[in-house]
Order: sequence, then C-alpha cells, then structure tokens
Amino acid sequence: MHRLLPVLCLLLLTACTTTEIDEFRQATTSISDGESIVILGRRQNNNYETEGNFVECVANVVQNGENGIRVVPEREFLDAMFPFFEPRTAPMRTSHLKQLMEVDQAKQRLAEYGIEYIVWLDGLTRRSESSGTMSCTIGPGGGGCFGFGTWTDDSNFEAEVWDLDTLESVGSISTDATGQSYMPAVVVPIPLIARVEANACSGLGNQLKQFIGGNPESGT
Amino acid sequence: MIRSVASTVVDFLGALRAVHPAPAPAGGGLASGLNLRGRLPPLLPLLLTSLLAGCAASTIVIDGDYPSPLVGKLPLTVGVYYSDELRNFSYTEINDNTGDDEYIVQGGASQLELFNTLLPALFAKVVELPSPEAADAGVDAVFVPSIAEFQLGLPQKTKLKVYEIWMKYNMKLSNPNGEYIADWVMTAYGKAPQENLQTVDAGVQGAAVVAMRDLAASFTLGFKDVPEVNEWLKANNVALE
Repeated sequence: MHRLLPVLCLLLLTACTTTEIDEFRQATTSISDGESIVILGRRQNNNYETEGNFVECVANVVQNGENGIRVVPEREFLDAMFPFFEPRTAPMRTSHLKQLMEVDQAKQRLAEYGIEYIVWLDGLTRRSESSGTMSCTIGPGGGGCFGFGTWTDDSNFEAEVWDLDTLESVGSISTDATGQSYMPAVVVPIPLIARVEANACSGLGNQLKQFIGGNPESGT
Repeated sequence: MIRSVASTVVDFLGALRAVHPAPAPAGGGLASGLNLRGRLPPLLPLLLTSLLAGCAASTIVIDGDYPSPLVGKLPLTVGVYYSDELRNFSYTEINDNTGDDEYIVQGGASQLELFNTLLPALFAKVVELPSPEAADAGVDAVFVPSIAEFQLGLPQKTKLKVYEIWMKYNMKLSNPNGEYIADWVMTAYGKAPQENLQTVDAGVQGAAVVAMRDLAASFTLGFKDVPEVNEWLKANNVALE
C-alpha cells in the first residue's frame, strides 16, 4: 500500500482542474421535437479563433445524453448558409441578424433546418506558467528521460444564445476552467495531464442543454 | 532527378572501391555484423534518395471544394476567361536562411474550381471563353479574374500559431467588344490554427480554403456594390434588390 501511495498521489494531482460556469439569462427559452440549434465558433478575431474541435465537442455534449437537443453540424450549416456566416460576413450583433433575415434565401434556409437558436462560441485555451526541464538520451544499450515539467492551462469560453423567433439575444453562459499538468520522468515520462478544455466543454455543453431546454434549475 | 544523382554517386563509389579496395575490418566490421555485406550498394541509392529529398522543395497542391452561394441570380449571360497565369498559378516560398525554394503552393485548379462554382450561382448563364475577345453577341459582359499578389505566413517564420494566406485579386469586367465596364481590386484572407502533429501541407491547405471562401463571400455580397458595376447594372435595367 505504501509503495502505491506516491502513484496514487500523482493520479490525484491530475484531477486538479477547477471549472467555473456563469449563466446570464435575458429571456425564457424552450425547444420542442423537430426544432434544432446550431453552435458556431467565432473566427473574426485576429489573435485567435475558436477551435473547431471545441465547437464539435460542445455540440456532442448538447445533442447526446438525457434531454439531448438536435444540433446541426457547424460545417454543414456554414456551407448551407454560404456566404452569410463566414468570418468576415457573419452577423456580430442581433441587429445584423435582423438584416440577414430580410434576405429571403437565408430566411428560408434557416426555416428548412428548423433552427430555433444560434449559439456563438468565443474563446480559447491558453498555456502559461510552464517550468521544469527534461532531458532524454538514447544509446546502444537503450534510452531514457529524466526531469520534471509542469504547466497551467486556462480555458475561457463564452456562449451567446440568439433566438431566431425574436431575433434577440436570450442570454449567455461563460466558463473558466483552470488546471495544472505535470510530466515527471524517471526513465519513462509519465504525463499527468489536466483535462482543462475537456472539462470546459463538458460543463458548458451541459449548462447550454439546460439553458436552451428551459430547465428552471439552470443558472448560477 | 534525385534518383539519377544518387545513382551517379553510387557509380562513383563503386569505381572508387575498384581502384582502392577497402581492407576487410577485423572481426567482420559493421557490414559483416549487420549482415549487410553485398547488400550495401542496393541500399545506398535509397539512403541517398531519402537524404537528398530533404533538400527538395515541398509542393503543396491546394485542393478544396466550395459551396454554391445562397443568392439570387442576376439575369445576365457572362463570359469568363481564365488566363494561363490563373490556370497554372503557383507561389514559391523561399527559405530565408538558404535562399532555396522551400514550398511551392500550386493553386490554379482550385481557383478555377472556385470561380466555376461561384459564377453560375450569381449569373443566369456563364460561358467559358478561349480568349477575352472571343465573346459573341449573346454575352452581356466578359469577366477576367487574376491574382495580383499572394502572401504566405508560416508559423515558423511569423512566430504566430496560425498559417495565414493573403491574396490580392484584380477583377475586370468588360463589354463583349472589349469596352471597359469595371476594374477593381479584391483581397482575401484566411488563417488556420497550428495544431499538434499537423503537417505544413495541411495548415496551408486549411488557410487557403478559408481565404478562397473569403473571396467568394466578398465577391458574392459585394459585386453589385462596385460603383461601376452598379451603374452598368442600372443601365442594363437589372433589378437590384
């Protein structure tokens, strides 16, 4: 048991991820069978763009499990609505959405998909506080690594929900997940990775599902 | 070519060995230890080829498919001429340290794919012309796109975690008899985030497709707003929504 204790402690360290979710609701929401939503990543920023993998991850959480909501895949939606949701042409505010809904083709296509809400995801994961060193060698008799590395990941994402009936924003959900990862190496490197972005995705997706479904228990 | 260089080197080494036969190492040496004696010459071209391949420029062929724009068609027949420069468009990125060609981006086929998807969605009829002067009386206007500038931003050079592509296009619209209607410049920008274990090819492809979608979006939504085009459309009684 005593021999296993260090390993157990190291494994516990991997769970060191803190996730905070805030919800701001401006109007009531509900969704019925046959209606769907689309989750889109904001990509107009010069310094970063919301990762497609994260958008896909949130969409998977929203559409699976109990009370899952039908989500139109982002790529399919962007192609179907081309050229109205490209980085330079996407509506940035609900007033732009109102202008877009005056275009017959766009309005008709949105109706064909049965889209009730558009969710805009904006954010990124930053890596900071990297420290430690590790050296690896290889020779005729074999190889190995020795050292220790650690870093912190911080995921900040915000989801804004637009109602296509009222053409207004009905609220937003933000998530902030932070976690520290470790990489000790004694001959073999042992990555103890904090699942920061995965936790942000799971937390945001589940909260979004409750928010759009109109669950009164949602909120902070 | 690399193969022929490698063969030449092998021939040279073979000739050298014939003139100065190497003494057999005590205990058999590496060749004997690894049982490579007699098999070294066949392996050598492969080894040299792989070494020399590292010196050659990588060719990246842009391959994307583009969605048809969701807009109403203008009741016009447009002739389009693709110059050889556009058809065979290629950009060479130079290695700043060595001055050698590092990457060759070939995008001609993809440019044609883009315009062949875009134009039929915008105009009632589109005909491809063998030359700008080949338009007949049934054509309302002749459209000639060209690329004026191309810039590639690689993460290893810009130190940003994105692949970037910026393009400047020159668009010309003229009457079938060659008279000027409009001549305007459009820019397109695309970026793709750098990901772990991603190849340069995939990063450049991603950025190029985004840039070309950007051009298609701007062209679709902005065509009628080009002042000279707008005047010409009004003069031809084309209804502007």
